[in-house]
Amino acid sequence: MSTTDPAAPVRATLRAVFGRGLPAFAALAVAVALTAALASPPDRLQGELVRLMYVHVPAAWTAFLAYGVTLVAGLVWLWRRAAVWDRLAAASAEAGVFFTGLAIAMGAVWGRPTWGVWWTWDARLVTTALLFFVYLGYLALRRAVDDPVTRARRSAVFGVVAFAMVPLVHFSVLWWRTLHQPPSLLRPAAPAIGGGMLTALLLSVLAFTALFVLIVRTRMRLTAANAALDVAELTGAEPVAGDAVTAPRREATR
Amino acid sequence: MTALDPRPPGIVRRYRLLAMATTGVLAVLVGLLLFGNLNGNLVYYLEPEEALAQRAAQSEGTRFQLGGLVAADSVVAEPGLVRFEVTSSPGPDGVRVPVEFRGAPAQLFGAGVGVVLEGSWQGPTFASDSMKVKHDENYQPPGDGGPA
Repeated sequence: MSTTDPAAPVRATLRAVFGRGLPAFAALAVAVALTAALASPPDRLQGELVRLMYVHVPAAWTAFLAYGVTLVAGLVWLWRRAAVWDRLAAASAEAGVFFTGLAIAMGAVWGRPTWGVWWTWDARLVTTALLFFVYLGYLALRRAVDDPVTRARRSAVFGVVAFAMVPLVHFSVLWWRTLHQPPSLLRPAAPAIGGGMLTALLLSVLAFTALFVLIVRTRMRLTAANAALDVAELTGAEPVAGDAVTAPRREATR
Repeated sequence: MTALDPRPPGIVRRYRLLAMATTGVLAVLVGLLLFGNLNGNLVYYLEPEEALAQRAAQSEGTRFQLGGLVAADSVVAEPGLVRFEVTSSPGPDGVRVPVEFRGAPAQLFGAGVGVVLEGSWQGPTFASDSMKVKHDENYQPPGDGGPA
């Protein structure tokens, strides 16, 4: 280290974890989306409440994207058996659970003034809650298995099967009578969203996608560093046996 | 499984059995959802004509949810009470059900909006004490055409 700046190692670590270009792009995308969402016109019926759509809808779509990535990464892991695909599947599922929870919370906040209730037992809300809990189960499964290969195999299969929830959630508003409105954009007919609102929504989707990529990449780097640390501790400098008089540290801490 | 698989055949067979059992259960569940009469129990609200058709079979006071559009020019507000008609279609040809709603109507309530009401039959009137406004999928700036 030739530099005398004491913050330099911290900055280097932050760069290694978060990267340099992607956080800047995500921040820019969020700033642009926020501006567009605030500048877009109010709705003729809901008024300012429509602005919650720019969080609720992208959050739900990003969650769908995340579970799709978990599905594909799981399939590729089953095919190639490389640990990086398991890390991608896990990181994406974590992000997906976060965005599902965000969509449910923002939907409740929107539903209270619009519908008159925070929650109702209609098909879209119930299937979304199920989706949330199924992927919480995925995360629980990952914590329940110690062996990395067994964990990767079981969670890959879980991730593939659990993805069936995503089309169920999307089509729930078409298959059953619901209080929740049917799709405005992801439908065969033309979008049912007026000019400035559609632009703001698409910019928000871009911002959420950038955030998702950033979160997943950061989580993957942290998980990889954690795994490397585990390996280093297991095969590291401490004598395993022979000259060990006291019990090894790993035993004592359990 | 290929010859390269290091796992003993017993484990592979057990996993295959588990996978087949899971697939089978899932197939039955999906089949029930799609084709079974389960759909009859998953109805979130009844349309006005369905509600009228079921009225004879129901005992007085059976609670259910009625959904439809608030008929134009039918809203009459009285102290603590709103009377209006729920119809199945915006035109004049829809089946209409008179509704007596007690309580404060939801913020976006008005003629032409979709509502889901919880309550029961009281004679020919549907008496309700719980209202949810159904927002449709159309988002438009004000003054952009369409029914306001």
